[in-house]
Amino acid sequence: MLRYIGKRILQMIPTVFGVILVTFVLFNMVGGSPAQQVLGPHAQADTLEQFDEQRGFNKPLFIGRRTTTRAYADSDFERTAGDWQGVNGVVWTNGTIILAAGGEYTLPVKFALRTDCKYDLEIEGRAGGITMLGREQLKLSKDWKKIHLRVKTLEKIAPSGAPVEIRSIKLRRIMSQPFDSQFVFYLTRLAHLDFGVSSSTNQRVSKLMLDGIGPSLMLAVPVFFIGLITSVMLSLFCAFWRDTWVDRFFVVFSVALMSVNYLVWIVGGQYLLGFKLGWFPVWGFEAVRYIALPALIGIFSGLGAELRFYRTVMLDEMHRDYVRTAQAKGASRTGVLFKHVLKNAMIPIITNTVIAIPFLYTGSLLLESFFGIPGLGYLGINAINSSDVDVVRAIVLVGSILFVIANLLTDICYAAVDPRVKLK
Amino acid sequence: MSEKGNSLWSDAWRRLKKNRLAMVCLGIVAFYTLAALYGEAVYQYYQAKDQTAFYQKTDLGQAYQPPSAGHLMGTDALGRDVMQRLIQGTRIAYKVGIITALIAIPIGVFFGCLAGYFGGRVDDFVVWLYSTVASIPGLLFILAIAMVVGKGLLGIYLGIGLTTWVGLCRLIRGEVMKHKGQAYVQAARALGLSWPRILFRHILPNVFHVIIVTFTLRFPAAVSTEVIMSFLGIGVATEPSWGLMINSARMRLWQGVWWEMTFVTLAIFGLVLAFNLLGDALRDALDPRLRTEGN
Repeated sequence: MLRYIGKRILQMIPTVFGVILVTFVLFNMVGGSPAQQVLGPHAQADTLEQFDEQRGFNKPLFIGRRTTTRAYADSDFERTAGDWQGVNGVVWTNGTIILAAGGEYTLPVKFALRTDCKYDLEIEGRAGGITMLGREQLKLSKDWKKIHLRVKTLEKIAPSGAPVEIRSIKLRRIMSQPFDSQFVFYLTRLAHLDFGVSSSTNQRVSKLMLDGIGPSLMLAVPVFFIGLITSVMLSLFCAFWRDTWVDRFFVVFSVALMSVNYLVWIVGGQYLLGFKLGWFPVWGFEAVRYIALPALIGIFSGLGAELRFYRTVMLDEMHRDYVRTAQAKGASRTGVLFKHVLKNAMIPIITNTVIAIPFLYTGSLLLESFFGIPGLGYLGINAINSSDVDVVRAIVLVGSILFVIANLLTDICYAAVDPRVKLK
Repeated sequence: MSEKGNSLWSDAWRRLKKNRLAMVCLGIVAFYTLAALYGEAVYQYYQAKDQTAFYQKTDLGQAYQPPSAGHLMGTDALGRDVMQRLIQGTRIAYKVGIITALIAIPIGVFFGCLAGYFGGRVDDFVVWLYSTVASIPGLLFILAIAMVVGKGLLGIYLGIGLTTWVGLCRLIRGEVMKHKGQAYVQAARALGLSWPRILFRHILPNVFHVIIVTFTLRFPAAVSTEVIMSFLGIGVATEPSWGLMINSARMRLWQGVWWEMTFVTLAIFGLVLAFNLLGDALRDALDPRLRTEGN
C-alpha cells in the first residue's frame, strides 16, 4: 500500500509541474506584462517599469543576458522619428534619422537609467562613425551595420566626421545573472508560497485568498452536500421505477435542467424569488439567509447533470449478477436497492464526489459575483475584469493543485477499498 | 453490421430514424441552422454595403415595445427588434460552436491517435499533457485565456477551443488502443503500410463516430460558455450575442420588460436541449456500447 501511495505521489509531480508551466506560459509568455492595462494608457514609463520590477516582468523569460527596458522603446524609424522628433540637429527622412556631424546627442530616454546595471545600445547605421565621449570610435561603413555600445549611464554620442544615418536603435538592459529570469522568479516565489500582490487592491494575494475562502465554502459546502444527497436520492428513485413513466420523466427533466443556461438560473431566480416574491434578499452577504437563494440556485443548476450521472451508475449496478442472485433468493426490491446496489454504487459516487471537492474552493464564479458574496469566485471574476494577473494565476494554480491532490486521494481510497487496483 | 452489408452509417441512420424524439431534435437543429445562415447572409449583406445593419439601428421612439405584429418579439432598450437580434445571436452561437470545435477536435484527435497507437513515451507525454489541462478549473481557465488573448471573439475561440479537447483525446486514445490489436490493423502492418496511413486511413474512420458524438455534445456546452463570457463582458462586445442580450435585458426585467429576457432564454434553451438530446440519441445509434441510458 505504501509503495502504491509513493508511486502515485511521484506521478503527481509532473502534473503539478505542468500546471506551473501552463500558468507561466499563459500569463508571462502569451500575456506579457499587464502594466498598461492596469495602470491605464496615460501611465508614465517609469511607473510601468516599477510595476514590472515588482512582479518580475522586466526579466528575460527563461534564460538570457539581455532584457527590454521601458526607458527606450525600440525604434526603427519606419514611419516617424519617434522619440527623436524635435531633437536639435536630427532630421528624419525615409525611414532613417540623420544625426548631423559635429553635434552631441543623448538618447531620449523616458526615465533615468538604473545605476546598478549596464545597458547595451544597439545602433544600426551607415556612413561615418560614432564616438561615445571619451572612448574609442566605433566605425560604421557605407553598408548598413549594427554596432553595440556598452553604456552605464547616459553618455553622449557624437558622430565623428560625417553625418550618420541610423535605421534602428534598441536599448537593452544587461542582466548580471543569465538565470535571473521570469521563470526562476516565479518558481522562487512559489517556493516561498508567495503569490504576489494584487494590482488592483495592492494587497497580498495570499491574504485576499484566505479572506475569500470562508465565504466561498459557506456557499459551496451546502450546495455540494444538499445537491449530492438530492441527486443520489432521485437516482435511486429512478432506478426503483426504471422503465416506467416516472423514470422517463426524470430523464427528460434532468436533460432539460442541464439545458437551462446558468445565467438564466441566476437572473431568473434573483428576479422571481428575490425581487418579485421577496422571499430572499437579492444581494449581499450579511446574514445566513443571504446564502439561501444562491445556494438554492446552485443546487438546482447542478441537479440535472448529477442526477443523470448517478442514475447511470445505479442502473449499471442493477444489471450485475449479484442483484439477480439477491432477488432470486427472495430479497425485496427495496432491500436490494438500498442494501446492495447503493453500497456498491458508492465507489463511483465517492470518486465523483472527491473529484468535485477542489471546485468547492472557487465556489461558483458566477453565483458569488451575482449575489455579492465576497468569496474566491467573486475575487476571480473581478480580477479577470481588471487584468489582475497575480490573483487570477494564484486562483488557477491553487485550484489545479487541489484537483491533483483530490485525484490522488481518490486513487488511494480506491486502492484501500478494492485490492485489485494495486496490482495494476 | 447486418447481413445485408449495411454500412455503420446507414445502420445508425435507420436506428436514429426510429427515435421520434431524436428526429424532432434534428428538426429543431435544422431550424436553428437555417436561422444562423440567414443571420450570416444579412450580416454579410450589410458588411458588403458598409452600412449599419437594421438590427443595430437605434430608434429611441420605439424602445420597449411589447411583442406586436410589427415586432413579433418586441423591441429592446434602444428600439431594436429583439427577433432580428436573436437571429444574429444564433449566428454568433454557431460561429463559436463550430470554430471552437475546429480548434479542439484536431488537437484531441491528433494527440489521442498518437498516444493510443504508439503507447510508451508518446503516451506518457500525451497523458501528462491532458492531465495537466484537465486539472485546471475549467471556466476559470477559459476566462484566463480570454483575458490574456484580449477581449473579443478570438479570446472566446481560443479559450474554449484550447481547453475542451481533453475528453475527446481520452476517448480516441482508448478507442485507438482497442483497435490497434485487431486483425485488420495487423494485416495492414504486415502489408508494410506506413503508420500515418494505418492510423489515419484505417483506424480513424473506425473511431469517427466518437468525434461526431463529442461534437454534438460539445456544441451546446461551447454555446453556453460563450453566453456566460459575453455576459461578463469578456466576449463579444459589438455584435448582438445572446449573452449581451441577457445582460441588457436583466435590469429591465425588474421594471416589467419581460419579452427580451424570455425570448433569449427560450432560444438558448431550445438550442442546447435539442443538441443534448440529439447527441444522446446519436451516441445510442452509432455506438450501442457507449449507451448511457440503462434500458
